[in-house]
This record gives sequence, structure tokens and C-alpha cells, in this order.
Amino acid sequence: MGTPMPSPDKIDFSTLPIYKPDVECTSRERIRAIQLAKLIDQVNYTYDRVSWYRDRMDELHVRPSDIKTLDDVRKLPFTDKSALRETFPFGLFATSLDEIVEMHASSGTTGKPIVVGYTKEDMDVWSECIARLAQMAGVTAGDRVQMAFGYGMFTGGFGLHYGILRIGGMMIPAGAGNTERHIQMINDYGTTVLIATPSYAMHICEVGEKLGFDWAASSLQIGLFGGEPCPPGLKAEIEARMHITCTDNYGLTEVMGPGVSGECLAHRDQQHIAEDHFLWEVVDPDTGEPVPEGEMGELVLTPLDKRGIPVLRYRTHDLTRVTTEPCECGRTLARMDKVRSRSDDMLIIRGTNVFPSQVEDVIASIPRLAPQYRMIIDNESGLDRLTIEVEIHPDAFSDSFEDMNQFTQEVTAKLQSVLLLRPVVRLLEPNSLERTLGKAKHVDDRRRG
Amino acid sequence: MSVSQISVFVESKPGHLGNVLEGFEAKGLSVRGFSAADTGGYGIVRFVVDKPEEALADLRERGFAVRLTKVLCVKLHDRPGELASVLNAMAEAKINVVYCYSLVSTYVVLAVNDIAAAEAALASGTLELVDDAEIAAFPCEKAL
Ligand SMILES: [Zn+2]
Repeated sequence: MGTPMPSPDKIDFSTLPIYKPDVECTSRERIRAIQLAKLIDQVNYTYDRVSWYRDRMDELHVRPSDIKTLDDVRKLPFTDKSALRETFPFGLFATSLDEIVEMHASSGTTGKPIVVGYTKEDMDVWSECIARLAQMAGVTAGDRVQMAFGYGMFTGGFGLHYGILRIGGMMIPAGAGNTERHIQMINDYGTTVLIATPSYAMHICEVGEKLGFDWAASSLQIGLFGGEPCPPGLKAEIEARMHITCTDNYGLTEVMGPGVSGECLAHRDQQHIAEDHFLWEVVDPDTGEPVPEGEMGELVLTPLDKRGIPVLRYRTHDLTRVTTEPCECGRTLARMDKVRSRSDDMLIIRGTNVFPSQVEDVIASIPRLAPQYRMIIDNESGLDRLTIEVEIHPDAFSDSFEDMNQFTQEVTAKLQSVLLLRPVVRLLEPNSLERTLGKAKHVDDRRRG
Repeated sequence: MSVSQISVFVESKPGHLGNVLEGFEAKGLSVRGFSAADTGGYGIVRFVVDKPEEALADLRERGFAVRLTKVLCVKLHDRPGELASVLNAMAEAKINVVYCYSLVSTYVVLAVNDIAAAEAALASGTLELVDDAEIAAFPCEKAL
């Protein structure tokens, strides 16, 4: 029988596995000590071996010996994606290619791809990070894990594969596509864990329902999601319809791949960062200065023991906030909010910063609306105007203009309290907005001049 | 006694009302009367049809936001002052008519919050009230 996502107060965390408790549950002081020792080593290693970093550090007059505390990381230069492009393919590698045991690349939608190489030690760290996040979701050696990511140059497929092997789970490397075969395999092999993008998991769910497959009675228990942003409503819907518990995780090819952080079962949409392998900073995206702990900003990551391609202070352009409060799951590693928006997604409307994810959150919290929206910004009248189109839920319509107007006012007020500017809310018929998973189509900026 | 009314949420855009009606035609449903009101952005179209449950199921299946409500349907005598007398009776009984429209000129739909009270307020007169069975049996030549 499948297990729907239990509420955290009903989970007995003492029975759930923790892959490396002596690190994942250690004191904050010890974590910081591990980070500092590794940071000093890593800066020395990088300065000695990668001329690109040596040149930049020399320009800033900073020597590896200047790094004496964790705060000293701020003396180091930032790294942007462009650095990996400029040095294509192997310019940032710190080892000879003989020591590289695996290569991956992110698809370059514009220009050259980002190429990354892993040494044996890097593969060891990577698979351990994946093992940790799989265990956060409850995966153990007894699980049968079906891969629905594509393998290939993308880091998701092999990354997750190695991590599952590490905990002794049985990998079923089905790969991407052929949905009916996936369902057949779940049925034939008693698959307990599905690794997929959330949108593909939803597709598998729907195809199964159409075929009359009984998800409630299926062996499947856990979904490990990744590869694309997962809108808040989607995960819950998949959990309810497939009768499974789903978590997702965070990572970037540039700093390793998936595994930088993973979601535990105590806090929906918060992810424990593998802090002994990654030093995090949260900075103001405009100034690069740190924001106070708990406040929203851009995530900056420094991998602490990367041998193949060391990267210092990587600007992720992902916005999040981080807390170091201990977690009910028993882990003490810091938790970052699931990344919902990128600094590049930010809209400035009448001088106010607005993120599509803020609109998404408000809409998702209103049961009478479908979790879909479109933002239209225009300045026809000279002033910026934000119109938000939302779909009324088929069952939520009341036959009274008074009620509908009042409802529209409520939605407007809720949005205004979060966005700090008053939008025009337009109610649409059910299913009238195009269903997409990306962010781009949620925003239609028609401003001129 | 009341009749069933189907209310549909429609965006105020060309063709949207037509989309609603398309299905009625395909299912052989007859519209006995309707009213469409609009706010500029969206509107509510209300129908009285011969087979309300079928119409509701059809619209639901096609993903519309719909609702079935009970409304009063009064059959008027075709003479001056008749409509006014109905509305006066409501006013005297302090019943708020939320909206009203006619099916054919002598069949008037009244939406009220308390159907029983409205019915009682009209009971003293010679007016006839109509139910779903009579709507299904339209047209009623006598009335026309
Ligand atoms: Zn936790």
C-alpha cells in the first residue's frame, strides 16, 4: 500500500534513516569548524592550480593566507556562469584530465554548454550527497528505485543513480520516456521509489489512471523529484493521486549537480544543505553584500572539497532564505527554502520588486482558485499596471455577483498585502490559461518606452 | 414550489456564451428562458432548461464553473399591473428579489433567498407557480 504524505507531527523521526548522523546532526560549532578547515584548504588548492582564480585573486590583492574565518570568504571573487563558458571546455579544471573519471555538461540553450569533470573523490562526495537526500525521503537499501530521468550528459540521471547504489537500493534504470512501459515495470518489479521530473510523474499518474491502474494499491511509496521547478500545488496533487510521498532537491551542474540540498519530511519545501561540502552565503543580488540570516537573497555557493573543478562563490541567481534552527527530523544542517524564483525573474513594477513566485504562493493558498495564473504588465495609461488573471475553480462559483465581487476584492487584498502594490484581478473560466511548468509564460510584460 | 436554474460563469469575450450553448444543442436540451448579466470582465448567464440535471452534467463535464439554484417561477396573467403586484407582494413581505427575468413575458423568474416565504407571500392572489415538470412540458399554449 502506498503512503500519502503524513503530517510532520505524525512521523516518528526516530525510525527514519539518516545517512551520516555524525555530520548531519552535529553541533553548529562543529559544522563551522569543518567548513573553515575545508575552506582554507580549498582556497589554497584553487589558487595553486587554477590560473583563472589566481589572476582574479591577485587583482583583488587577496592571498589564500588571508582566509582565517568563514566571513573572510567575502574577500574572494564571485564566479558567474560566464566564467565556465569563457574557459570552455577545460579551462577551470584543477587536475589533469587523467584524474577525471566522469564528465557531464549542461545543455547550453545559448552558446556553449557548461562542461564539468569529476575526480574519483568528487564522485564519492556526489554520491554521498545524493544518498543523504534519498534517506531524508525515507529511501533505504530495501527499496527498488525506478529512474525516469534521462541518463546522458545531464547530471540528474547518473547523479541519482550513483547515490541510490551507495545506500544499496536496487536501481531500475528505465530512463526517460515510454510511459506505459514505466507503469508496467512498476507493476512487474514492485517498484517502491520513482525518480522523475514532477511533470513527468504527473503524466505517469494520469496515463495510469486512464489505463485503470490502481495507484492506491501499487507498490510505489516515494517520489524523488528534480530536474525542473515544482509548483506547490503539483507535488500535493501527485501525492494524493499516486498515494506516495514526494520530496525534491536542489543542485546545479556548475557546483556539482543535484545533491547540494534535499528536502526532509519535517518541513515541506525546505531543504537541508550539505554544509560540510558547500559553504553558503545569501547576498543582496544587486550589491553582493550579505543579508541578515533568514532574509531572502541570492544563494552563493562555494563547494568545499571539489577537486576536478573548484568553484569559489558561485552566483546561482537563485533566490532563497536559509535558517540554521535545528530541524524536527533530527538534522542540524541549515535549511534553505526551496528555490522558487531567480533574481532574473524579478519584475520592477511602479518601483516595487515583484516575483512571480509571490503571486503563485497567494493563488495556491486560495482554495476557490485553480493553481494557475498569468501576470500582465502594461503602461498604456502612463503608469505601470499589473493585471493578474486567475481561474475560478469549477465548484467555487456562486451565482451571485455580490459574492463574486467580494471574492475578487478578497483576492486583490491578499495579493496586495504580499506584493505591496494593488493589482487588477481578473477572474477567468476554468481551464482557460495555458498549462506550463516554466516561469516564462506566467508573465506578459507589455510595457513600452 | 420552485424551478431549477443553471448559472454559468462566463468571461465577457466573443463566443463564450456560444460555447455554453453548443453542448445544449448536441444533447438536445431546450432553453426555456435565460438572462445574461455582465460586470465588464465576466458575466453570469442563467438558464431555465427542460432537463436541468442533464444540462448541469454536460457543463460540468466540459469544465465550466456552474451551479444549480432553485428559483421561483410565477405564471402571470397577461394584464396590466400583474408584474407590479408580484413585486409588491415581495416588498410587503420584506423579501429581497436578488434578480428577476422572464422566460416568455408572462413567465417570470424571481431569485429570492427564501422560496417558501416568497411562495406564501404570493399565495393569496390568483397567480400560479410553476415547477420543473411544467418547464419540461413547455410550451404551454394556454399561457401564450
Ligand atoms: Zn529536517
